[in-house]
Parts: sequence; structure tokens; C-alpha cells
Amino acid sequence: MSGGTLALTGLTRVHGPGQAPALEDFSLDVPAGSCVAILGPSGSGKSTVLRLTAGLDEPTAGTVRVDGADLSGVVPERRGMAMVFQRPLLFPHLDVRDNVAFADRVRGMPRRAARARAEEFLELVQLRGYGDRPARALSGGQEQRVALARALAAQPRVLLLDEAFSALDAALREEMHELLADLRMRLDPTILLVTHDHAEADALADAVAVLDEGRLLQEGTMRSLYARPASLAVSRLLGGRTEVAGVVRDGRHVSPLGALALPERVADGPGVLVVRHEAAAVTPPAEGDCTGTVVRLRRRGLRALVTVEVTGDGGTASVHAELGPGEEVPTGATVGLALPVADRWVVAAPTVVPEQPASPAEEVSRRR
Amino acid sequence: MSTVRIALAASRTGRGLLALWLVLPVVPLLLWAFADSWAFPALLPQDWGTRGLTEASAAGAGGALARSTLLGAAVALLATPLGAMAGRALASRQVPGSTAVLAVLLSPLVLPPFAVALGLDVLLLRLRVPATLGVVVLLVVAALPYTTITMRAAYAAHDRGFEDEARVLGATRWRTVRSVQLPLLAPALAGAAFLAFLVGWSDYIVTVLVGGGRLTTLPLLLASAASATGNDAQVAVLSLTSILPPVALLAVVGSLGRRGRR
Repeated sequence: MSGGTLALTGLTRVHGPGQAPALEDFSLDVPAGSCVAILGPSGSGKSTVLRLTAGLDEPTAGTVRVDGADLSGVVPERRGMAMVFQRPLLFPHLDVRDNVAFADRVRGMPRRAARARAEEFLELVQLRGYGDRPARALSGGQEQRVALARALAAQPRVLLLDEAFSALDAALREEMHELLADLRMRLDPTILLVTHDHAEADALADAVAVLDEGRLLQEGTMRSLYARPASLAVSRLLGGRTEVAGVVRDGRHVSPLGALALPERVADGPGVLVVRHEAAAVTPPAEGDCTGTVVRLRRRGLRALVTVEVTGDGGTASVHAELGPGEEVPTGATVGLALPVADRWVVAAPTVVPEQPASPAEEVSRRR
Repeated sequence: MSTVRIALAASRTGRGLLALWLVLPVVPLLLWAFADSWAFPALLPQDWGTRGLTEASAAGAGGALARSTLLGAAVALLATPLGAMAGRALASRQVPGSTAVLAVLLSPLVLPPFAVALGLDVLLLRLRVPATLGVVVLLVVAALPYTTITMRAAYAAHDRGFEDEARVLGATRWRTVRSVQLPLLAPALAGAAFLAFLVGWSDYIVTVLVGGGRLTTLPLLLASAASATGNDAQVAVLSLTSILPPVALLAVVGSLGRRGRR
């Protein structure tokens, strides 16, 4: 089995008259055999992309193409896709084997052959011997494995994963990530997945599209997005913590941190400096690029995250930095901060937009 | 430990009393059904026999049983799918003014059936609707509240994600209904159909008024037998005949429900 090429062009979806579009002019290419993630917060329209791709909802505008063929007006069952949702949705009236055999059965394969093939796919997700169990007698992780096996058994040209691993605990999620990586090597499927977790997107996907409020903010590899986010919103969605407002003058970012050289030429004007906390390092005072006071320390396993407040020209700025394994710094200590030039990046300062509370209608449709 | 035992004993006693409460009224019926003579002071019938059975069958119990079964089945067959559709629409919250729609659907519960049947009888006569068809139509309307409420609750608890999943996996719309929706909703559908069957099975007023006495069902036969005197055995046989089929059906529906919950 190998996947097809998926191309989404100008997809727009307005759920009802008078409502803001859930998705606006969204385009994305998913090359055959690749895994592309759509990253966004809840309500960003990312699940809408999958529903439009699968044909479960009709786009208001735009096209879905697989291997060049336009799928407009094609019913979901004829699109050659398969989807795994956040809930496993195993059919409770069927046992595990018949769940996995479902796609073959509804396409008219004889029961015996479909069940034999189901066994193969159960083996692929390391659930050999579970075929006779009722669907309700499985743990959460096993259920999601069966759901994955059921989707793969449909031999989809595109596999859609809608937050498929989000409901699992951290250890199980890790296991599923490894399983998916393994399945990709063996079966070479084309995968479009949706997640709110940038670490999951990083772990699974070759490329990422960041979506917020129905609009595509940026796309590229996860590495490039971490290093060069297009906006403050992208930086925040990727878990960026440090945001220092300032002004760019002559290729330097001027802020309470001082005048910091930038890796690339940036137009003069106001801009926000972003530095990944993984890249920032704490040094002895006066050895780094600036000096400040530790105001907070959060332990996250062996590596602690410190917040350093730096006071300089024009006010105070907070910088977050990750310490080395086992390192500790007491709060109140004066430390230096090393911000490697290559890891500095300036994004546009946000234009002041008043917080728009979501309308009640939107809230309701979101909850549904 | 002893409190647990006491609680267990209390629960058993309670269940026993409840069973007694339900079964007790049937005991005299059973005795009467097979009593050829049972004069007042005696605790048990003096003569046992099957006179009640012969009399009841001579009065047309067999035909009435068949007509009642057909009437109940027809009402269930029509009211269940209608109730399922109404329940699905109401549960999806896509119906404008769904509270008002629900109120209209539930109104047969509130309106006195005698008044409704009398009023509609005139209308049905003017429209020249055949009497039997009129009975079925009115009873379907009377059964709709039960089927709609049952199916609305079932659809509210039903996850449409199952249907989306089935469609994406290659099942056509109709195949999805058959292979996913119906099996998942089977317990609720059986319950709704049972209630609708009971509406048709046990109706008296509509059958008398709209049927014009030509459609003799079990309740009609039973009522006419009970209003006369001296045929207690026959009345007992007819009563048992009206009780037993629903009880048997309930057992079937109950076992279906258990299988669905497993």
C-alpha cells in the first residue's frame, strides 16, 4: 500500500449564514508518502479541513484533489480515505476482528477473506490474538490501535488522523508515535493529521501548517517554524515563551536587553524579539549578552525552566531559558543570558486589536 | 458484615414484595379461567374445567386476538420509524422551534382521548376514510409521543461519529444505516416498537368510536363480556389472553436490551 498525493486548494467553509467562516482560503499540498500536520488551537478550523477532505462536509469554495482528480461532489465512501478520530469509535456490536474487517466487508469482500486480512492488520498494530474480544473489552490505547488498524485495512490513498492520540496519556501517546513511524516505514501511506500539540507535530510530521481562526498562518518544516516563526501567534502556538518588544534599527533589535545583532537583515521599525527557551542559556553574570535577575524557576524533569527579568533602557523584559540537566539557580540570583545570534528572530509587533469575545452562536457550534 | 447481610435481606424482601404485587392480581384470573363453578364461600373453585375457554372462543376470541395483534403490529410498524425520524431530528437540535414541535408531538398525551376521538370521527366520516384505516391513523398519532421520546433519548446518546467513520471506511449511506445505526439503536427501537404495539393492542376508545364497532379487538370483546354477568370464567380467559402476549413481548425486548448493553 502506498498513498496518493493530496492537494487542497482554496478550501473555504462557512457553517451557516451570518457566521464567520470556519476555514478561509486554505491551501495545502501533501505529497505521496509524506505526513503533514495541521497545527492549531481548538476552534481553529483544523478538524474542518479533515471533514472537508473526507467529504463529510461540503466546502463552500475550493477543491480537494487526490492524484490530480477533483473530488467535488464525490461521496465520502468513494474517496478512498480513512479517518481515525480522537474517540476510537469502534463499532460496539462487532468484535475487534470484524471492526478491522469493516471496510473490506462493506466493499463486498467475503467474510472469511476480510477476517483473514483483518488478522494481518491486527498483527501490524501488535494486537495479534485480540480478534475475538468484544470492542468494549479493550483499554484506551488498545482501542486506538484497533481504530488505526481498521483505518489502514481500508487501504486509504490518504489517511486522516483527527487528534487521534490526544486522549491518550503521555506514555501511550509516545508508543503510538513509534507505532505510526513504524507503519510509515512499512506501508508508506500519505497522512494528513491534525493536532494542537506542537511536540506531536514535530514527532510525526515532515511538514506543518499552522492554522488559527480558519486561516493558514505559516507552513514549512517544524525546524524552520521553530527557528523563524512568521508571527507572534505562530511563535506562541509552537510553545515560544520569550517575547521582548523593541525596535529594529540598523539590523539590531533594541530593547531592554540591549542592542542585539540579528542573523538576517530585518526592516527597521517596531518588532518583537523571540528566542526559544531551549536555545537561551544561563551564564555567570556579565558573561552573556545581558544580565538579569532570576524571578522564577519551574522544574520540568531534569531540566529546569527559569524566568529572568532584565531591566534596561525603556523598561523590563522577561526571558525564559532552559537550564542544563541537573543545573539549578536560586530565585533572586543575578545571572547572565546567552542568546545565540542564530536563534534570535524578530516578528512584527501585534497591531493593537481589542480582545473579541466569541459570539454565543460560535460557542455553541464549537461545543457540538 | 452484618449490615451488609441486613441490606441484602431487605433488598431481597423488597424484590419479593414487588413481584408479589405484580403477580397477585393474576392469581384469581388464573383460578377463574379454569373454574367451571366457584360459589362464594369456597376458597377454591368447586369444579375445574375449560368452560371459560370454550365460551371465549365461541364469542370470537381467536379472531379478536388476531385483529388486536395486527392492529398493534400496524401501529408499531408505522409509529416506530416516524418516531425515530422525529426523535433524530429533535435530538440533532437542527429543528427550528424544536420545543414547540415536541409539544405538538406530545399533545396526544394531554388531550382527553374521548374528546379527540369523537371530534375526529366526524372528520374522518366526512372525508370517507375507511373505519379501520381511521383507527390505525389515530392510534399511530397516539403512539407517536412514546416512540418520539424514546428515540429522541436514544439519538441524544448516539454518537454520529460512528456513522461518519463508517462512511469514510467505504459504507454507503444505506449500508451505514443497516450495519451501524440500526444495530446500535436496536434496543431503543425495540422499546419504542413495544410501546407503540401496546397503544394499538390495548386501545378501547378509538376502536369503539372510530371503528364503529365493526373492528372487534380483544379489549372490545373483553369489555362486552365483562359488562354482562355470569360469565366470569370467560372474562378471565379473555383477560389472560390480553395480558400474556405483551408480557412475552416484553421478555423478548428486555433480552434484546441486555444484549445491546453488553
